[in-house]
Amino acid sequence: MEKTLRLSADQREDLVAYLDGELPDQKAQSIDQVLARSEVARHEVEALARTWEMLDVLPTPKAPPEFTERTMTTLKVGETPFVLAEQAWFGILKQVTIATVWVAAIGLSGWFGFKATNLWMSNPTRQLLEDLPTLQKLDQFQEVESKDFLERLQKSQLFHETSEKG
Amino acid sequence: MLDIRTLVSVDKVADFERNPHVPIQTKPGPSVEDSGYLHDPDVQLMLRAKQGDDGAFTQLVKSYQDRLTNIFYHMVQSQEAAEDLAQDVFLRIYRARHGYLPTARFSTWLFRIANNLASNSRRAKGRRKEVNLPGSESGPLGANPAEQLALEKSGLMPNRQLDRRELQAVVQQAMEQLNERQRMAVLLHKYEDMSYEDIAEAMELTPTAIKSLLSRARENLRQALEPYMQLGKEVK
Repeated sequence: MEKTLRLSADQREDLVAYLDGELPDQKAQSIDQVLARSEVARHEVEALARTWEMLDVLPTPKAPPEFTERTMTTLKVGETPFVLAEQAWFGILKQVTIATVWVAAIGLSGWFGFKATNLWMSNPTRQLLEDLPTLQKLDQFQEVESKDFLERLQKSQLFHETSEKG
Repeated sequence: MLDIRTLVSVDKVADFERNPHVPIQTKPGPSVEDSGYLHDPDVQLMLRAKQGDDGAFTQLVKSYQDRLTNIFYHMVQSQEAAEDLAQDVFLRIYRARHGYLPTARFSTWLFRIANNLASNSRRAKGRRKEVNLPGSESGPLGANPAEQLALEKSGLMPNRQLDRRELQAVVQQAMEQLNERQRMAVLLHKYEDMSYEDIAEAMELTPTAIKSLLSRARENLRQALEPYMQLGKEVK
């Protein structure tokens, strides 16, 4: 027996697959033959196998008992459909819009009311402006004692020829 | 004549030549009835969840919550983070239920999602600046259990029987020295008893790459743990 016969680089590469049963039959048989002949090779294989067994001491932490319920709740919350009316910002926006519309409506009503009032109700100032020519000659008109006298005077055309000549 | 190698990977062709009775895996069609995985009871539960059966989904959560927590714990070294990641896996599966098609074993699909989340978590953790304080209280042997045990083995300290917790710390440290892919492959093979082909599918690699990963990982573990194999035999 060749005790010191070692594995080749390719065989060493295949060794783990050999231990895992993942090597094709032909290659596995080749490894078997080397292991049968070489103590060094067997030592390498045993070391690899033993190393793998040592992983059994690693802790295997588990999920806590409430994990399932917590996960399903999280999943369901994530699936809640988006409803615009239920959003907080939408409520505030709605209130602001309503208030703005009310203010605009009141303002507009006030403006229309002001304009209507100006049109339909008498304006003493306007009346004064229309009577201004009369007011400017009020002193002269007050010397005339009656209005009938002025109308008869106008009909008589007494001053008509005078104005045409003048 | 069309060369089949232009259609499938060389690895798949090699597999077919070795095992001609095993059909080359191609992308399955979209029909549920065409799926070859309907015999999987977890696939059946998932199909019921797809139809709105939350009870079926709850059963899936119960079946996999401990397994996922365990895998994630060994990837991120935190129980809380492991539970969060496990919940994320279920969240992704739940959200995807309406479009679910059984194109693989349910566990393979689940652990593929788990592998992606673990990678993302590690990348995010790497981006955050972390201050590593001296781990004087990290375990029964302190921050560097391997060094502590080496001192004992060298004869500078009295030999003693190895406490299980101490051996646990040594093995954990050996696992943490593996890179992320090696560690995930080891965990899936050790705890889920997944074949190289299933691990390849979960990690989106070829079976040849998985064989190489596991070979290097176990060689690294052997080098790290061989000094303690004798001590391990004397565990209380």
